[in-house]
Amino acid sequence: MTRPDNREASHLRAMHCSLGQLNRADGSAQFTAQNTSVVCGVFGPVEAKVYEEKLDRAVVEVKFRSDIGSSTTKDKWVESAIRSTFEREILAHQHPRTLVQINIQLRESDGSVDSAAINATSLALVDAGIPLKSMISAATCAVLSDDVVVVDPTQEEIDAARSVHTFAFANPVSDSNKQGPLYVDSRGNFTMDEYNHCYDLCVLAAERVLAFMRTAIEGKVTKEAKINTT
Amino acid sequence: MGAEIGPSNIEAAFLLEALKKGTRVDGRGIYDYRTLKISCGPTYGLAEVQLGQTRVLARVSCEVTRPFPDRPTEGIVLFNTELSSMAGFGLDSSRSSTQEVAISRMVERVIKQSRAIDAEALCILAGEKVWTVRIDVHFLDHGGNLIDAASIAAIAALRHFRRPDVTVDGEEAIIHDVRERNPVPLSIHHTPICVTFGFFGSAGDMLVLDPTLLEEQVQVSSFTITLNSHREICALNKAGGIPLSPDQIQRCTQVALAKVDEVNEKIQLALKASTA
Repeated sequence: MTRPDNREASHLRAMHCSLGQLNRADGSAQFTAQNTSVVCGVFGPVEAKVYEEKLDRAVVEVKFRSDIGSSTTKDKWVESAIRSTFEREILAHQHPRTLVQINIQLRESDGSVDSAAINATSLALVDAGIPLKSMISAATCAVLSDDVVVVDPTQEEIDAARSVHTFAFANPVSDSNKQGPLYVDSRGNFTMDEYNHCYDLCVLAAERVLAFMRTAIEGKVTKEAKINTT
Repeated sequence: MGAEIGPSNIEAAFLLEALKKGTRVDGRGIYDYRTLKISCGPTYGLAEVQLGQTRVLARVSCEVTRPFPDRPTEGIVLFNTELSSMAGFGLDSSRSSTQEVAISRMVERVIKQSRAIDAEALCILAGEKVWTVRIDVHFLDHGGNLIDAASIAAIAALRHFRRPDVTVDGEEAIIHDVRERNPVPLSIHHTPICVTFGFFGSAGDMLVLDPTLLEEQVQVSSFTITLNSHREICALNKAGGIPLSPDQIQRCTQVALAKVDEVNEKIQLALKASTA
């Protein structure tokens, strides 16, 4: 079985990320997996509007903008999915009556967009210094029509797939058997066995994504530490 | 809440005092652009422009639609600019201020009404099928002078874009897949580029090119001139602010002419880099 981009079925696309490239945002990150690219800018904790503030915790607001066209119902759905994923991981009670605003902008999309958006958000929140219980990493896999399961599918593969699954896990991912995933999105026709297989593959993939994100953050922190000491 | 808080009096006074001595707060000369970085691709029609702390992303896409009944042989050009809360906290398209509307309008007018894109070349079958070209401009970071950055991003994205090739056989139009046949670039007549000036002082006697956010907040008037590489003026915009003398406009035009050539060269380099 060969994939259009000659990857092996369990291989992720080459990832790339950069942190803190936006000036106005308190924290920002860009997460790229070849032709899928997402920028995320986080503001917070900032003053919340009176009508939306919560007395005991910070409000999390997510805005997702697609690369082409104005916002659609699907974008709203992604917004709410990301909000509910991160709401539980942000230590919101440490900043009562404030707002954490997460802005996500899709730069280009070639499949596995929601997992890229979750990864970018995770990085941007860390960059902004928002207190988190743990980092979140996500991965997508697709079951193709010939029952082959591929990790990190491109849009072409998703269009041809029988079902597509996205999972997000808290750190450490290996604990996911006890904790379970933070976010699951499964679409299409699939059997329970296929689902379990996809779950296992995504655990491995998410672990690798998390390791990559950690190195990126470590790289940035060491760079900054060097500047401070000299 | 939400509204932009302007600079403090001390900051504003410092900026003006420095300007009187011919110095800008960020150390630039008064006719200098900030560092301009343009990157195109890898997807066709994607351009990101970084002008100092300002960052703008432009995305061009196309689809086949029916033409407007009164213009059966012309393709459609759609423009979408949204000042999102990403660019700065509190900026939001739902309660856009007049300034934000002005920015979107200006960029749209520059591209669409100067007829930079050859609309007739977008026709596939007269009255039946035409290409709709859509330009989405996303503002990622607001560091001042969004107009210039947006116009550069839009032009770079349009020039970088490739649409699928089409062959017409009688009444049938065949749209070739990108892998089947090389996609073709859009036919673009000219490349209008905006150059913005900010004026300071009670009589507007001090001017700077490419104002930063701080300078934009202090300026008493702004003036945008749009030129293409053929040294033609495509649009002028001076909405409100204090009155300016014709001499000042003349001077701005001379400066802008030189700057537009520089910007066009940069776009050319970025396009070349993306294909290499």
